[in-house]
Order: sequence, then structure tokens, then C-alpha cells
Amino acid sequence: MAMKKVFKSLALVACLGAAQLAHADALSDIKDRGTLVCGTLGTSEPFSFQDPVTRQVVGYEVDLCKEIAKELGVKLDVKMIAVAARIPELAAGRVDLVAANLGWSADRAKQIDYSYQHYVSPQKILIRREDAGTLKTNADLAGKRVSAVSGSSSEAGAKKLIPDVTTVTFKDPPTAFVALQQRKVSGFVGSELMLLKFKQDAENSPVQLDIIEEPLFVEPWGIGIRKGEDALREEVNKALVKLEESGQLQKIFDRWFGPDSKFPTKRVFKVEEIKG
Amino acid sequence: MKYTFDFGALLGQGYPALIWGGLMTTLEMTLFAWLLAFVLGSVLAVLRMLNIRALNYVIAVYVAFHRNVPMLVHILLWYFGVGAIMPLFIEDVVNQIGGEFVYSTIAIGLVTAAYVSEDLRSAIRSIPRGQMEASRSLGLSYLQSMRKVILPQAFKISIPPLTNQTLLLFKNTSLAMAIGLIELTGAGREIESATFKTFEIYTVVTVLYLAISLLLMFVGAYLSKRVAYVTKTR
Amino acid sequence: MWEILSDNWLLLLVGQWPHGPVGGLVATVGLAIVSLLLAFPLGIMLALGRISAHKIFFWPATAVVYVVRGLPLIMFIFWVYFFLPLLIGNSVSGVVTMVAALALYEGAYLAEIIRSGIEALPRGQMEAGRSLGLSHMRTMRKIILPQALYNTIPSMLSQFISTVKETSLGYVISVHELTFAAAQINNMLLTKPFQVFALLALTYFTLNLILTGVVKLVEKHMGSGQAVTAA
Repeated sequence: MAMKKVFKSLALVACLGAAQLAHADALSDIKDRGTLVCGTLGTSEPFSFQDPVTRQVVGYEVDLCKEIAKELGVKLDVKMIAVAARIPELAAGRVDLVAANLGWSADRAKQIDYSYQHYVSPQKILIRREDAGTLKTNADLAGKRVSAVSGSSSEAGAKKLIPDVTTVTFKDPPTAFVALQQRKVSGFVGSELMLLKFKQDAENSPVQLDIIEEPLFVEPWGIGIRKGEDALREEVNKALVKLEESGQLQKIFDRWFGPDSKFPTKRVFKVEEIKG
Repeated sequence: MKYTFDFGALLGQGYPALIWGGLMTTLEMTLFAWLLAFVLGSVLAVLRMLNIRALNYVIAVYVAFHRNVPMLVHILLWYFGVGAIMPLFIEDVVNQIGGEFVYSTIAIGLVTAAYVSEDLRSAIRSIPRGQMEASRSLGLSYLQSMRKVILPQAFKISIPPLTNQTLLLFKNTSLAMAIGLIELTGAGREIESATFKTFEIYTVVTVLYLAISLLLMFVGAYLSKRVAYVTKTR
Repeated sequence: MWEILSDNWLLLLVGQWPHGPVGGLVATVGLAIVSLLLAFPLGIMLALGRISAHKIFFWPATAVVYVVRGLPLIMFIFWVYFFLPLLIGNSVSGVVTMVAALALYEGAYLAEIIRSGIEALPRGQMEAGRSLGLSHMRTMRKIILPQALYNTIPSMLSQFISTVKETSLGYVISVHELTFAAAQINNMLLTKPFQVFALLALTYFTLNLILTGVVKLVEKHMGSGQAVTAA
């Protein structure tokens, strides 16, 4: 009888020990698995979107994930996730990294860790061309209604920085854009590149759009890593710095934002620690 | 999976005000939509009793359309569809109040009106024809008989189904979050995406919805009992 | 509006399949069927719980039914969206969330329908079954339930129509069903929102009108083979 008890408690202790082992960090898990799971949007050109020809997910952030996986010596598994699911998926361990238009915010930094910045996105406001006379600066939208994507940092920024504004949030960028087109709101707050794409698309529609020149705020983007996974974070940062120093990052940048691309932009950032 | 419960996080940063605002918006929507549904539903029910074939057909189509199409689709149709073909000066007034609020309230009111009219109609039909004949023979006009004799009884009989409709209407207001209105559910989602405390905020929102639902059910049951003695004399 | 239909009928019918998940009208009807099939056993269990004399069955069943009836469906869907991955330990797609939420939601409503069907039968049947030596469960299974379920077929078919309408909420969590497909078309066209959403409304209208007609046919057909009801 006593022997049974001893065996049971030994088994329990052994299980606890095994549980400790199983709780190793994410980096070793990735290396053991041989795969890096990268969460990305898949709906945001040119960061991560579906190539209509190959029907695969490609883009600037996908390329960065590929390079990081190469550095770690593992395969890459790209997983599409929704804007609102980025942090929950990371926190639950269902993705290892999040490279999904993830802007830095103090609230988010409490929940997750960020790598060095890999992109800096000016957040701007898209307006109807017919309003360009009255809406010249961001402050002109005070007291008015603007649309944004639900749960985005654009929405939070708009609420903070535009006095007396009413934000109307929708579940995805196209719906928020439609609200602007159909005169439900006076402006659509979002990242410059996303707005640029909508502006280009709208040139052929009856309602043309313009972007207010002055950015509402500038948002550094980083790769999201689960809180406390310092070993993984260091590896990701090492990989990013290596890309920067070898010139490979510039090549990737030019591929998606260079003069011959769809979204020619000048690179105004360096890969470095995000200053909170 | 670790999840640290932290209801305190909901107290920061204007979140209680957001929930309160959402709750108020929900209640306002419920009130206005209910008024629309009740008035229109009664009018439609009475018009049906006139037995004019063309009118009956139109009302039947109205009821069938509003009952067979999902509530969310009605809201989208009004907000994106009707909103786009409205003359600009009306649209501007609507957007001043808040297009999301106006259109979703109209949509919910019209759909509930269809159900209310059917409930009232069956209640009216359950009242013996003798009553109409008696009041007419006493010199009251058709409309007066309706107003003073038939309808009061019909309303009392239909308190249970109308309570049910009110409850459904109250719950349907949550669909307005799909077009960006910050009512109670919308407020919950906003706070969720800001604080990531999903369980806590969902619990608060759920408790509020359940409390008001139970309140509506009790009020309905109470009203039903109070008027019961009248109908028992038949 | 008809050009919109002729240009986009494939998207409205099957969504992005084969270049994406099955969507559109097919997904809507499919979701409704699967959800209701799953809701059925759930509804029976909850109904039995609701009429049970044992408090251990009565209180949880009653609690579930009241909570589900007191919560808006969209809030319920958000709960399931949050809770299900925690329960299963794996991320869950919008479709699975939708099916689980609808099955539970409809199960609670079906429970009330089945309960009223059971209570409409004469008490004598249960007493007779018990006095013949059958246990409570066996009487339920072999005598009461078959009749109750048969009697409530029209109500349950009406619930199917409600379920079809409820699938439209998949739009909010990006499930590829009919409303989502119409929203995609609106996002593409941008200039004809009224026509797009009017077309969407007409599609649901037609579908549910047909289903209502089927329900009426079934009701008429059933009038002949009625089981015994309380006098």
C-alpha cells in the first residue's frame, strides 16, 4: 500500500519534471520542429498579399520571414491571420512570429515583445478630392467622422490626435474605404501605403480621393514575438542586422518599394531598436 | 495557456464611459426602433382588417420581405444601399445624427413591425366577431370600434408575443456593430482590442445583456398577469 | 442589378471556390444544414434536462437555455470565437466557430420546441410506459420522443429558415457565406451598393420563400398522419 503511494508520487514528480522540460523556450521548439511559423496578413499589398498568378502569399514581410527562417536553419511556414487576431495568436503560441503590419504601441508592448523595426509607416488620412479645399490638415477633421479598421493602431491614433473626432470602425480595410467613398465619413485613417493603393484604385471611380500630406503620426513596425522569448528575439534581431549590413535588406526593400515597383517609396528608416 | 484575470484593467482609460455610452446607445436604439415597430405594426394590422385586396397584398409582401431576409442584410441594405441613393441634403442631416444609428434603427424597426403586425393580426382575429357587430350596432364607426373595443383587447392578448418581439428587437441592436456603431457589443469589442482582456469585457457585456433581457421578460410576464383578469371574463 | 447578377453569379453561388473556400449560397445552406443537424441532439438533451425531475439536469439545462436566449447571437459568436480555441488547444477557423455557435444557439431554441412537443403529449403515455415496466429513459426513447419529434417537425423546419438567416452573421467574422460574398462584390464595384445589397436581399427572400413553401407542404402532408395529442 505504501509502495503504491511512493510510486504514484514518483510518477507525479516525473511528470512535473517532464512538464518543466516541455516548457523550454520558443527558439529551441522551433529548432526541434524544424519549422518557423510566421503569422502574416495576406491581404496587405506589398507587405503580404496573394499573388494573383501563383495564388501564393508573397511580399516584403514574407521575404523577411524567409530570411529569418534561413538564418535559423529551419523551414518557413506562412500562416495568414486577421488584424484582430495578431496578438492573440502570438500569445497562444499558435504562431512563432508575427510579421503583419504590426505597429508599435505602448499597450501592445505590454503584451508582446518587438524586434528591431523593419518598417516605418506614416499614418495618414484619405479624403475625398472634393473636400480637399476644406480639409487641408489633419486638424481640419476635428469634430468630424473618420473611418478606420477595427482594432488598428490607426484608430487609436485618430482618437488620440484629432480633437473631438468620431471614429467609425469596420472589420476590414475595403469596408472602411467604402464608407469614405459613400460619404459616410469625411476621412479614412490608415497606413500610407494602404491608402495609396485605395487612392490609385479610386482614380477610375466617380469619387476620387486624396491623401492629406502631413502624417497623423509615424509608426514603427516590428516583428512580434511572444513576451519573454528573449533568445528568439535576439536571433531575429541578429538576422535583421545581418540583412541590413550585407545590403540584402535594401535589395528586399527595393524589390517591393523601389523605383520600378508599384509603391515607390524612399527608405527613411534604419534597422534599429524601436524607441518607445 | 496562461491567462491572468484582471477586471481592474477595465477601469482605466475611459473604458467604463465607453461601456456606458454603448449601453445608452443600445437602449436608445431599442426605444426608437420599438416605437417605430409598434406604431407601424399596429397600423398594418388594422389596415389588414379592412380587407381591401390590393392593400392586403402589399402588406403581405412587406411582411414576407422583412421576415425572410436576415436582419443583418436589412441593416446593410439601408446603410450602404439606401444611404447611397438618398438625396445629399437628407444624407448630410442623417450623418449629423449618425448614419449608423439612424439606418440600423430604421431597419430593425421595420423588420420588427412586420412581426408585430402578424402577432396583432392573429390577436384581433381571435376576438369574437360579435364584438365588432355589437359595437357597430351601438353606433360606433369602424375606426371607433377598433380603437375603443377591439384593439385594447387585442393588445392585452398579444402581450406575450409582443414581449418576445421586444426581446428580439433588443438583441438585434447588437447587429449595428457590423456597420461601426458603438453600441454595447461594439463597445465590448473596442475595449477588447485595446486591452486584450477578452474574458473580462465579454463577461461585463454579457451580464448587462442578460440583466436587461431578464428585466424585459419579467416586465412582460407582470403585464401579462395584470391584464389577465380582464380576458378571463370572456 | 441584373448585370451584377450575371457578372457575379458564381461568386454569389459558391464564393471563391475552387480558388478559395466554398462560399456564397452553397456555404450558407451548407452551414445551416450542418449546424441544425448538430443542434438536434443538443436540443433533445437540453429538452430532457428541462423537464427532468433531477435538479442536476434541470438547472444547467435551464441556465444554458436562458443565457442563450438572453444574449444576442453576435455576442454568442464572439464568445465561441474566443473560447473554442482555448478548449481545443488549436486555432479554429471562422467556419468551425460559426457551426459551433449556431449549433449551440439553435440547440437551445430547439430544446424549447421539443419540450413543448413532449409536454403536449398526454401524461398517460409516460405512465403507461412505466407501468409496463419500461424505465423512464426507455419510455422517452421508444414512445414519447418519436411522437414529440414528429409533431414538432413543422416548427423545426421553421427553425431551419431562422438558421439560414443567422448564417449571415458569418459576415462579421469573415466566414465566406452569401452576405460576405455580396460585401466582396460591393467592395469591388463601389458605385452600386443599393443594387448589390438589394440583390442580396432578394436572394435570401427567394430562398426562404421556397423553404417556407416546403414547410407548408410538409405541414399539410402531416395533417393526415397526426400522432395522439392531449385532448
